[in-house]
Amino acid sequence: MNVAKLLEKRRVQWSELERLCDAMEMRGRTEKSGLKHHRGAEGIARFSTLYRAACADLALADAYQLPPGTVTYLHRLVARSHNQLYRANKFEPQSWSTILFEVAPQQIFADPCARIATIIFFGLFSLSMFLGMNEDMFPGFADRMVGSEMLSQLEESYSQPLNADSEHYVAAAGWYIQHNTGIGLRCFAYGILLIPCLLTLAFNAVSLGTMFGYMARPDVVGGDNFFEFVTAHGPFELTAIALAAAAGLRLGIGVFYTAGLTRRDSIRANAMKAVPIMAASVMLFILAAITEGFISPSPLPYVVKAIWSVLSSGLISFYFVVLGFPRDVLKVTPGPETGDQPNAA
Amino acid sequence: MASPAALDTTIAVVTPENIAFDYQLAGPFRRLPAYIIDCGVRWGLVVLAVIGLSLAGLLTNFAVLTNYFVAIGFILYFLISWFYGTILETYFNGRTVGKWACGIRAIDTEGRPISGKRAMLRNLLRIADMAPPVSISSFFVDAPTLLYVPTGMVAVLSMILTRRMQRLGDLAAGTMVIVDERGWHLPVAKVDDPRVPALASYFPGDYRVSRSMAKTLAIYAERRHYLTPARRREIARHLSGPLIDRFEFRSDIDPDLLLYALYYQVFLSDSSEEEQDLGPLAGFSPLRRDQNKPQGLAGTAAKQAAPVAPITESSRTGPVSTNTGGLPDSTALGQAVASPRHSQQKSNQQTQNIGKDSLPTTPGKDLP
Repeated sequence: MNVAKLLEKRRVQWSELERLCDAMEMRGRTEKSGLKHHRGAEGIARFSTLYRAACADLALADAYQLPPGTVTYLHRLVARSHNQLYRANKFEPQSWSTILFEVAPQQIFADPCARIATIIFFGLFSLSMFLGMNEDMFPGFADRMVGSEMLSQLEESYSQPLNADSEHYVAAAGWYIQHNTGIGLRCFAYGILLIPCLLTLAFNAVSLGTMFGYMARPDVVGGDNFFEFVTAHGPFELTAIALAAAAGLRLGIGVFYTAGLTRRDSIRANAMKAVPIMAASVMLFILAAITEGFISPSPLPYVVKAIWSVLSSGLISFYFVVLGFPRDVLKVTPGPETGDQPNAA
Repeated sequence: MASPAALDTTIAVVTPENIAFDYQLAGPFRRLPAYIIDCGVRWGLVVLAVIGLSLAGLLTNFAVLTNYFVAIGFILYFLISWFYGTILETYFNGRTVGKWACGIRAIDTEGRPISGKRAMLRNLLRIADMAPPVSISSFFVDAPTLLYVPTGMVAVLSMILTRRMQRLGDLAAGTMVIVDERGWHLPVAKVDDPRVPALASYFPGDYRVSRSMAKTLAIYAERRHYLTPARRREIARHLSGPLIDRFEFRSDIDPDLLLYALYYQVFLSDSSEEEQDLGPLAGFSPLRRDQNKPQGLAGTAAKQAAPVAPITESSRTGPVSTNTGGLPDSTALGQAVASPRHSQQKSNQQTQNIGKDSLPTTPGKDLP
C-alpha cells in the first residue's frame, strides 16, 4: 500500500524511458542517450519494454490508487513515448506517380467541381476577352478592368519581336515556378473559405481575358508578339489555374455538402480528395513555368511554339480523358486514406 | 451539467497497446509563439539561401551559372515559403522548429502520427487560416498601400469553435496540436510532521479508503501547501466531520491534520510496519472516550506542565477550547503545520509549541 515506495521503484524505469524519448526526439534513434545498452536493436527493445511497462503502470494507476499528479505524469510519459514509437510517415515518392497519373485524372474526370471551375474560368475568360476586344460596343471595358496603365505597359513590353537572351531562360523559369504556382496554391488554400477562391479564380479569368482581348484588337501594337508568347504555355497555365480552383472548390464544398457524413468528416474526406487534384495542378504549373521560361520568350519560329501548344493540349486531353476515364468495375480505386497507416519505429 | 472531462483541454487516445491516455491540447497562446518562431526561421533560411547563392555566384564568376543560381534561388524561396512546415513536420515527427521550442506537436486526431499528406494539407491551408489580411494603410496613412498583415481571425474562430482546438487546416487534414513536453517532476507530498503518524496510528484498522476518497486525499495533500491554515480547515471540515464520527475521535481535532494523517495512512505508511516511535506524542489519544482522561506529553514535556493536545483545533475556531484556560492564543495551529520541519527539529520540550495555541495549556493539571 505504500505508494511512495512503489513510485520510487518505478520512477527509475520512467526516467530511463524519458531519457530514451529525449534521445529519439530528432531521428528516432536510441543511440543518443549515451548508455551502452541503448545502442541499436537492444535500445529499441529496451524502449519498447519500458514503454509497455509504463502503459501497464498507467492502466493499473487506478488500482494502485496513485495520486492524481502521478497519473498526470504517467499520461504525459505514455503520450510522449507513444509519439516516439509511432513516428510520422515519410513521403513515399514511389506513390507520387500513382497519385499523379492514376488517382488524380480519375478524380478530376469524376469531380463536378472541376467542371464548375473550368466553366467559370473559361467562361469568364472568353466573355471578358470578347468584351475587351470590342472597344466599339463596350467602350472603356478593358481600361476599367485592368487599368490603362497596365495595358500600356503590356503593349510596350510586347512591341519588340520576341528575342529574349537565352541566358535568362533558367532564371525566368524559376521565377514563374515561384510566382505562378504560389498563386495557384493560394487559390487552393482559400478554397476552404470558398468565396476567396472563387474571387481569385474570377479575378484571374477576367484580367487575363481582358488582356487577351485587348491585345487581340487590330489597332494594338505588339499583338502578334503577345500571342506568339502565350501560345506555347497557354494550355498548361490556364488549365492549371482552373484545376487549382477546382481543388479549392472541392475543399470548400465539403463544408456545405456533407453527403451524409458529419461536417468534420466531410471536410476531411473532401480535403483528401482535393490533394491529388492540387498535385496535378502544381505539376501543370511547373510544366507551364518551364515552357514559359524556355520556349515562349525564345526566338524559335512560331510553328515550333504552335506545335508545342497543340502537343501540350493533346497531352492534357489524354491525361483528363484517357487516363481519367472511369475504370470502376475492374479496378478499385484507392481510398483517400491510403498511406496513412502508422508504421512502428 | 456536462461531464467534468469535457471542461479540460485533453483528448483521450486509445493506443494499440489498449491503453487509454490523455493528450493535452495546445491552444492559440501556445501555438502563436511557435508560429512566430517559425516565421523567423523561415525568413532566416531565405536570407541564408540568398547570401549563400550570391556568394556562390561571386565565387564561380561564370555569367552562365549566375542565372542558374537565380533560378535555384526562386525555387528555394518557393519551397521554403510553401513547404517549410510540411517538410519539417514530416521528417521530425510532427514538429517544426517553433513547435519544438514551444513543446508542442502536430498529430492525427486519432492520436496516430502525422503523415506527409496531412502535413502538407495543414500547412498549405495556413494561408486561409491567416485570413483576412488587413492593409496597414487603412490605419496608418503613410504606410505603403500594398503592405498586408494577416490577422489570423479565421484560425482563432475555428479554434474556439472546435473541441480539439483545430484551425481550418487541421480540420481538413484531420490533425490536432498537442502539448508534448519533457521534464515533468513526480509530485509526491512528503510528510514531515511528527503529529501525522501519531494521529494515523489511531485510525481504526478496519477502515478502508474508497478510490474517490483516496483521490480526494491526494489532491488535498498536493494543494494544501498553497492554502492558508484557516482555509485548509474550512475545506477539510467537509470531510473531517463524518470521519471524526466514524473514528470516534474528539470533535476538536484539527480537520486539516486529520485529512493529512489519512493521506499519510493511505499513501505513505506501511501497514505492516511496526509500531511507530511516537516520541513526545506517545501519551496522547485523540479518541473521544479518552477525552477526559489525563493526557499529555511523555517524558520531559511533563516538566513544562503542559497537557498538550496538539492535534486539536485552534481555540479561535470554536468553543471547544474554551474549556481550558491557559496561554493566550498566539499563533494558529496551522502555522506549525505549515512549517513542520521547523517544529520537528525542536526538542521534546518544545514540542508543545506545535500546538501551543491549539490547545491551551492548563498548568499543574495532569502531570503523570
